[in-house]
Amino acid sequence: MQDYEVFLQQLITGLSNGMIIALVALGYTMVYGIIELINFAHGDVFMLGAFLALTLLGALGMEAWPSHWQLAGVAIMLLASAGFCGCLNWSLDRVAYRPLRRASKLSLLVSAIGCSFICTNLGLFWGGMPMEVFAGGVAAAAPKDFPQLIPQFNILGESAIRIVPADVAVLVVTVPLMIALVYLVKRTRLGRAMRAVAQDATAAALMGIPVDRVIGITFFIGGALGGFASVVYALYNNTIGFQMGYRAGMDAFTAAVLGGIGSLPGAVLGGLTIGCVRAMSDQYVETRWTNTIVFGILILILIFRPSGLLGSTRREKV
Amino acid sequence: MSALSAQAITMRFGGLVAVQDVSFTVQEHQIYAVIGPNGAGKTTLFNAITGIYEPTAGVVQFFDRVVCLTFSWRSAIRIALTSLACALATVIAVNIQNLWQASIIENYVYAQPFPWSNGLRDLFGALCGLSFASGVLAAILGGLAGGGAALVLWWRSRRTPDLIARAGVARTFQNIRLFNELSLVQNVLVGMDHRMRAGFWSALFRSPRFHAERTRFHAEALELLSFVGLADRSHDAAGSLPYGFRRRLEIARALAGKPRLILLDEPAAGMNHSEIVDLIALIRRVRDAGTTVVLIEHHMRLVMGVSDRILVLQYGRQIAEGTPAEIRANPACVEAYLGTESHG
Amino acid sequence: MRWRPGPIVCILGIAAVLPLIELFLPQPAHVSEAVRGVFLYAILALGLNVVTGYAGLLNLGIAAFMAIGAYAFAILTCEIYPFQIGFWPGLLLTLPVGALAGFLLGAPTLRLRGDYLAIVTLGFGEIVQDVLKNLDVVTKGTQGINPVPAPSLGGTMWTAEDEYKWYYLLLALLIVVILAIRNLERSRLGRAWFSIREDELASRSMGIRVERIKMLAFSAAAAIAAFAGGLSTSVLSSTGEPSNYDFQVSILALCIVIVGGIGSIVGVLVGALVMIGLNSIVLVKATAVLETMGIGGQSNVLLSPNNWKYLIFGLALVLAVRLKPHGLVPPRIERRAT
Repeated sequence: MQDYEVFLQQLITGLSNGMIIALVALGYTMVYGIIELINFAHGDVFMLGAFLALTLLGALGMEAWPSHWQLAGVAIMLLASAGFCGCLNWSLDRVAYRPLRRASKLSLLVSAIGCSFICTNLGLFWGGMPMEVFAGGVAAAAPKDFPQLIPQFNILGESAIRIVPADVAVLVVTVPLMIALVYLVKRTRLGRAMRAVAQDATAAALMGIPVDRVIGITFFIGGALGGFASVVYALYNNTIGFQMGYRAGMDAFTAAVLGGIGSLPGAVLGGLTIGCVRAMSDQYVETRWTNTIVFGILILILIFRPSGLLGSTRREKV
Repeated sequence: MSALSAQAITMRFGGLVAVQDVSFTVQEHQIYAVIGPNGAGKTTLFNAITGIYEPTAGVVQFFDRVVCLTFSWRSAIRIALTSLACALATVIAVNIQNLWQASIIENYVYAQPFPWSNGLRDLFGALCGLSFASGVLAAILGGLAGGGAALVLWWRSRRTPDLIARAGVARTFQNIRLFNELSLVQNVLVGMDHRMRAGFWSALFRSPRFHAERTRFHAEALELLSFVGLADRSHDAAGSLPYGFRRRLEIARALAGKPRLILLDEPAAGMNHSEIVDLIALIRRVRDAGTTVVLIEHHMRLVMGVSDRILVLQYGRQIAEGTPAEIRANPACVEAYLGTESHG
Repeated sequence: MRWRPGPIVCILGIAAVLPLIELFLPQPAHVSEAVRGVFLYAILALGLNVVTGYAGLLNLGIAAFMAIGAYAFAILTCEIYPFQIGFWPGLLLTLPVGALAGFLLGAPTLRLRGDYLAIVTLGFGEIVQDVLKNLDVVTKGTQGINPVPAPSLGGTMWTAEDEYKWYYLLLALLIVVILAIRNLERSRLGRAWFSIREDELASRSMGIRVERIKMLAFSAAAAIAAFAGGLSTSVLSSTGEPSNYDFQVSILALCIVIVGGIGSIVGVLVGALVMIGLNSIVLVKATAVLETMGIGGQSNVLLSPNNWKYLIFGLALVLAVRLKPHGLVPPRIERRAT
């Protein structure tokens, strides 16, 4: 492989991973935009989505299905995980965050950290399920293999640069979702209500917007995006584990902050940036320094642009 | 000498012009009022004056002086040193494994005394032998990042509210902002903070200076609380006070820093008649004690009764300035205030 | 006014006579050994309490400062390095080292909004772990540094068997830390911390130099955490591997502060007793009991009490902010002249 081919290859990997990160980051940014909470548990909701997908895959025996049926299987997993993660995120809001609407932001954040730990532990238990796909549940904490449902051939044929169908699958899932999300937020009644609540919840309530329901729906949508992302992630990386929520959550949140939290295009830009930085650092520095580089960049950007790349400075009301 | 002079203040938020080209001067020992309908930009003007916002254009002077950090040789040296330190730190951080290997591991024999001179010599040698990328390039990048960050941080802290407060300008807030979980005395003591001198170490080791200062300022805080009539509740939490008292506590907290100029943002809001009478007396006492007072107010009786001069704003522009009698005779002001006169 | 012992004095008094329990037990239970962890985590959580409880800045990377203290102490004292400055100088040096680390992280980031700062500290926690792991020439990577010396009294160095010596040393240092924090809390500085927690903008408008005050809180917390790190290294005689100072440790410290009572020293002590008691005494004992009964181990994930740890921490946090938002022992509004 020549130098530029290596670079392009890493760029492709980075962009694919970046799209997944962006999808998770959208969940963070939506929730932050509406109630100014870093939904710490979001990464773990994402992780549980991947576990659900693997469970479904095992229960339905998808591995044995003929290959075009497997495509339908992927669709089933996507929808099931999205629904599951959406509901889970909604219930977290209902149980752990809604009672704290009037409490300080610190309490809310602490509650979110607590939820994250609870979900992590549920993931650990889930990994111990006596199913074949979980290796019989013997080593609950060990990473699980996620079967290769998408064929592994190079779309470019004999080229040195590999683009596999999984790369395309990432795009096919994420891009329409992002477009739909932007349409939802910018063009629909619900989106208008969401933006109104984000701007001033009290005023929105006075105007007759059911604030709690709008916030709940936001959580549902954010969680559902995480669910889609989890299946795509699992198919793309072929391994899942109960601690991946923390890692993926960190990346996604960094992406959201980098792009300017609360801004939808910011989250996508941030996700792509983080994905590419990771890939380039893996290639040109060393894998073991990647996390350090990502956070170093985050800190540098926050010093120079405290509200992120595309974020707007929100003025405190005095 | 003028206590406050604002020249051509403009405050723009994106496309919205909240304050446009407002100029006025407050003489020392005056009571000066800023009035105008809701949304006229009065509070924004206050925020621009006290450093919470950076005015888009215009100059604010307190006592004939612009309160702002100027770029002196000291700040330049500080930024240069930060940059240098970052450059050095980056080089060391990037190469620490090699440097450690060369200077420490190569020279240290287990349980033998360490030959320090050799260690330092090898460290220096290893530093000189660094490649371009890990030496010069790292130094340049680190220096740029560190110097840039220091410059940006300095730029952001040029004109901050604390600097202005320390120059002798105190304020209250339209929507009262007390420290609710602190007691009344502590609220006042926070206002005195910038007059205290005992620092971290004297607090840690309870030096005599700490004790002396504590006694002195505590007595003064109690005195100030009785000045505003809150002495008997001095150890309650500020959050437990009724509304009218909170305004008074906020004034006491603002006075605690011994300001030469105090800005009151709607001090009479939500007060009943007798409370307003008390407030007028309080404002007069503050002025007589030597502090210049600038206030935003809707309450026309208070404004007309107490102020020496009045500035009228409407839609962010100043439409009149003068003594109460002049304002009352100005048809534009009467029109602007027609709506609020009825309940004012 | 007659002097009456406050709750802190009572707790410490009980702690001082606690090892006497051994006299009444039929067989040695090593009570004083079990309580060591409580003391160490109490010191760590007291540091976190300064930054999170007093100044209201959520720090999710306190374990990183603990790691910095631990490694600084180990490198300065361990015999495989040339410095070997001894226990007490090493322990004292962890304070400035920790404060410097806090300063370096805080100087550029303390102006950030609260939750951004939380993320930066979280990221810092990850960076420190990675750096310690990757700089294996300096830090011995995942092996950790050992042996780290213990204090010596009268020429002989303490060993793990000297459990009472360790117990009273840790208790004494805990008391020193408590005194220092109380002195800071009841001073101009503590008041300024509270004021920025309550309303940053108002306190800035009162002339408080917010950045400087935040920096002092951040550095003080980092210094105390580094101190705890150095101390724990000496107790264990090894730094252990860098992942011993991971996010879980930071969250454990946060749990102690939140459950115990945010901003209250007594609260932190009670919180440390409850959380560490649960984490390293009850869970460990339960595991041992289950093992003697012949169940547990690898076969079923639910049967190993250790696997419930995250759930317990998580529930503790969620329930604490919901039901006892000010913790088990909420801080009192200071009625004395401070």
